[in-house]
Amino acid sequence: MLSALLLIPLLGALAVVCWPTKLTSQQAKNVSIVFLVLNFLASLYLLSQFDLSVTGLQFQESVPWLETLGLGYELGIDGLSLPLLIINSLLSLVAVYSSDADMRRPRLYYFLLLIITFAVAGAFVAQNLLLFFIFYELELIPLYLLIAIWGGPQRGYAATKFLIYTALSGILILASFLGLVWLSGASSFDYSATMANGLPWIQQAVLLAALLIGFGIKIPLFPLHTWLPDAHVQASTPISVLLAGVLLKLGTYGLFRFGVCTFSEVWVDLAPYLAWWAVVSVLYGSLAAIAQTDMKKMVAYSSVGHMGYVLLAAASANPLSYVGAVFQMLSHGFISALLFLLVGVVYKKTGTRDLNVLRGLLNPERGLPVIGSAMVLAVMASAGIPGMVGFISEFIVYRGSFVSFAPQTLLCLLGSGLTAVYFLLLVNRAFFGRLASTESQTGVQDPVLPVVTWQDRAPALVLVALLFVFGLSPSWMTRWIEPTTTAMYDAMPVKLDRDRHPAYRTSQLLDAPLGIADASIDVVTCSNGDCAL
Amino acid sequence: MMQSLIELSWLIPIYGFLGVLLSLPWSMGLVQRTGPRPAVYINIFMTVLAFLHGTFVFMGIWNVGGVELEIPWLQVADLSLSFDLDLSVLNLGVMELSTGLSLLAQIYGLGYMEKDWALARFFSLLGFFEGAVNGVLLSSSFFLAYFLLETLTLSTYLIVGFWYAQPLVVKAARDAFLTKRVGDILLLMGVLGLASWAGDLHYNEMYEWVKEANLTPLTATLLGLALIAGPTGKCAQFPLHLWLDEAMEGPSPASILRNSVVMTCGAYVLIKLQPIVILSPVALAVLISIGTVTAIGASLVAIAQVDLKRSMSYSTSAYIGMVFIAVGAQWPGVAIGLLFTHAVAKALLFMSIGAVINNSNCQDITELGGIWSRMPATTIAYVLGGAGMVGVLPLGGFWALQLGIDFLRREHPVLAAVFLVVNALTVLNLVRVFRLVFLGDITPKTRRSPEANWLMATPMMILSVFVVLLPFVMMRMALLPPLRYWHPWVFIALVVSGLLGFAIGATLKLNRSLSRSTDRNMRMLQDLLSNDFYTEELYRVTVVFLVRQGSRVVSWFDRYVVDGAVNLVGMASLMGGEGLKYSVSGQSQGYIFTIVAGVTVLGFLMTWAMW
Repeated sequence: MLSALLLIPLLGALAVVCWPTKLTSQQAKNVSIVFLVLNFLASLYLLSQFDLSVTGLQFQESVPWLETLGLGYELGIDGLSLPLLIINSLLSLVAVYSSDADMRRPRLYYFLLLIITFAVAGAFVAQNLLLFFIFYELELIPLYLLIAIWGGPQRGYAATKFLIYTALSGILILASFLGLVWLSGASSFDYSATMANGLPWIQQAVLLAALLIGFGIKIPLFPLHTWLPDAHVQASTPISVLLAGVLLKLGTYGLFRFGVCTFSEVWVDLAPYLAWWAVVSVLYGSLAAIAQTDMKKMVAYSSVGHMGYVLLAAASANPLSYVGAVFQMLSHGFISALLFLLVGVVYKKTGTRDLNVLRGLLNPERGLPVIGSAMVLAVMASAGIPGMVGFISEFIVYRGSFVSFAPQTLLCLLGSGLTAVYFLLLVNRAFFGRLASTESQTGVQDPVLPVVTWQDRAPALVLVALLFVFGLSPSWMTRWIEPTTTAMYDAMPVKLDRDRHPAYRTSQLLDAPLGIADASIDVVTCSNGDCAL
Repeated sequence: MMQSLIELSWLIPIYGFLGVLLSLPWSMGLVQRTGPRPAVYINIFMTVLAFLHGTFVFMGIWNVGGVELEIPWLQVADLSLSFDLDLSVLNLGVMELSTGLSLLAQIYGLGYMEKDWALARFFSLLGFFEGAVNGVLLSSSFFLAYFLLETLTLSTYLIVGFWYAQPLVVKAARDAFLTKRVGDILLLMGVLGLASWAGDLHYNEMYEWVKEANLTPLTATLLGLALIAGPTGKCAQFPLHLWLDEAMEGPSPASILRNSVVMTCGAYVLIKLQPIVILSPVALAVLISIGTVTAIGASLVAIAQVDLKRSMSYSTSAYIGMVFIAVGAQWPGVAIGLLFTHAVAKALLFMSIGAVINNSNCQDITELGGIWSRMPATTIAYVLGGAGMVGVLPLGGFWALQLGIDFLRREHPVLAAVFLVVNALTVLNLVRVFRLVFLGDITPKTRRSPEANWLMATPMMILSVFVVLLPFVMMRMALLPPLRYWHPWVFIALVVSGLLGFAIGATLKLNRSLSRSTDRNMRMLQDLLSNDFYTEELYRVTVVFLVRQGSRVVSWFDRYVVDGAVNLVGMASLMGGEGLKYSVSGQSQGYIFTIVAGVTVLGFLMTWAMW
């Protein structure tokens, strides 16, 4: 069954490449859409067959491959990978659907997109460390090409930067995997959560550090994030959607699956520092976003901020925060994909993403009212307004992490406040006001914008609907996640101990968090202010 | 029948949201053939439905007693969240009041906004307000209240920004959202704290928990402050009051709701949180001081305003400030009485001035005048609304203020004096506005001012009658003290303060053409007040400055330090390669030497073990 999810996009990719007759851009797109719809349906079928009472892996497949290397074709999913798998199928479909109708070199383009779908799905289902690594690296090549060929003016720089960063991440991960297998004396790379048990603390710490940096590049965490804004700004809209919606999740998924559970002994010791790292990442991303004038860059920096919450939740290491971590990955997937999609439509119609130029796009006759309304909702979802998925995922994260790390949580809450600031600036500048109100703008921007078709709107509206569905009924999401994360927590040989950690002890005494809370009150107040138009 | 209606009470907040959903085709512009009216009718119908449903449930509850409805929402690990409703007489009474006001405001809104192209969007937003407010008022779970309060922040943003093409509106919407968001984030901190420590977010469970709560004083203080912060933002109290007067840039029907219903809703949550806030005496003191500063400050600022709506909005802040005082002094009964009477009277006042604004297209009071002869019904509404709000015997406001002064004077005579001062200042302001707008000569802007159309006049009249009847309602709901507790001195003090305000207001020298005084000191005072004590400037040089500089620094750091380091590494390797290029000389002896040296080293290493 899982192989079907890998085979369908692969076959699709081959079909697009080997199509016997000449293939126009539109035809190539249609072919890809057919395969991706099939793929999506297959993943939904998987959902319907998924057994919630089983906490372990399901739909396992095992085919021996290169046994001398320890590489096996081991597949399986649990509540951690299932939702990610489905969001991958969905967003791939959205990405292909929202691609331009007249694409240069369509065969190559759709081939690469389908390969990404294949590789990401593979990474989510792989249960063999080496297999995971292969898929993880495989996704890199098409993405590099997609940025380098169909990207913006600076695409060469951005693509190379992306490639080098991610290759580095791959090397570190591979090194960690090799080290883990060799040191633990396992006979193959088949993954099991107990592999690192019995290794000395220091060895585990080194392996975990390599994993942390490796996946930290992908997530991305400060200061390993600089490839992300460049890649996003240069990539075309569908690529940004995939990159933000799915590919970043590979980092958190990998960290969560291979880091937290395997090295839980060290993880728990490092947790307070990781939580601080998350705080820095969140605040840094949010503050950097405020200063941006390119809409896409702003959204990209907001990704840095919002992915930090996942680290915070993972560091807090309790059953609730684990659910929050996975939920936050998914909700960020939906929201950031939607944001990039909408920014893409704006860019397509107005020819610019510069917040100093755009004005009054909500104009009902000549502007983009529906896209603008969707943007307001997406932005509010990201800022954590209840009723949409961003709120409840963040609430679970905060509630989970508050009991472990109160000061860090309160500081991360500031990030939520800052999110409201920069996204409000975005909406206020670009969508409110008068369309092309000054003379200088009329020159730059034709006041009568091209018509937005329902084809442009459809994917955005679907994602908006999903924001509300999961925001109003989050249990439809948590029910898949919770059994697995609870089992993962139970399986941890060492729990985040309330007495062992200074950070926790102080939070019990409620002295330190209070000082911080006090400071945070001051800073929050500053998140309000009018940061001017 | 009654039983099933009570069990279906969860529909009461849903009606509003349902109206929003059903009118989506019109507000999105999908249906244009019919015009936006159907969306209006849908929303009004839904409000009527909510009102009737609420009335039946109210009658049922009156006999049976309170009922709790359990609506579980999410259960994850050790976190359980629910949307439980508490159908008590008080909750339902306030809910009925808010739905009734909302219904009147919607009918009024149809008259006011008749020709607006985005009528459907406007009514969707009003429906959203109604649903969210009802949910907050009925909630027995603090989580539900928080959930809906935050959605109210969003809808405030949207409704203040309704005419988003105007620059002032854009600024107002932004300020409204961000200021409220500050309160929301702080409140969220409080929610997190409560959820972690109390373990349950139901009001009743939290009240139980408070009894044995074992928090350090510092924690308790911070918790209390966080809980206060939310209502402070929602109710436009100092220092988060900035947004309310700007929000008056929005359409008048929305202002009616905001100043009566939405404010009430925020303060109502505060009243429900009061038993938790008492954990910390500091928080209570802060509550009282916030209330006092706002009550006095906003009353003074209101007097210096020339904008009709802004002047009234400051007086709203002042009244809610008194509610804060009452909550801080632990007299929730006083707070509820004040809220109740203020909501009704303020709604009427706003309807009246909305009618003036609609007819004259002007909200600058120095440009208005002589309206009483043109719009008698509106004038009556203004007078009744004003009288119902301040201490005029025997209308509602008098009893609420009287009760407050009576209770406060025993322990906090100063606070009782604050009530009197606010009463005097409010009377002063109302008389000032009345003289400028309704009396005096007719100005060019008011020359053609017919009475408000029937859609606006009808709700205005209904509400006028209600204001007059309010004391009877209060009597029925046992909000009036029995005869033997009436205290003559309190009566006299209140009446005298009102008369004093009236006398000053009536004799104050008002100049239409020259609204700024010629006397320098007077002018400075005037500027200070009309600019709201320069609060906006204060924000600009503190928080806004901090965030802006912070973001600049981070952005610079990101660009030049983090990214710079990365690019440096790239450059270094490229330059290194380029540099090494020149070490290739092309002379064969050089190559041979390198090879020999290399082989030697290798051989040395390989045979290392043998040595």
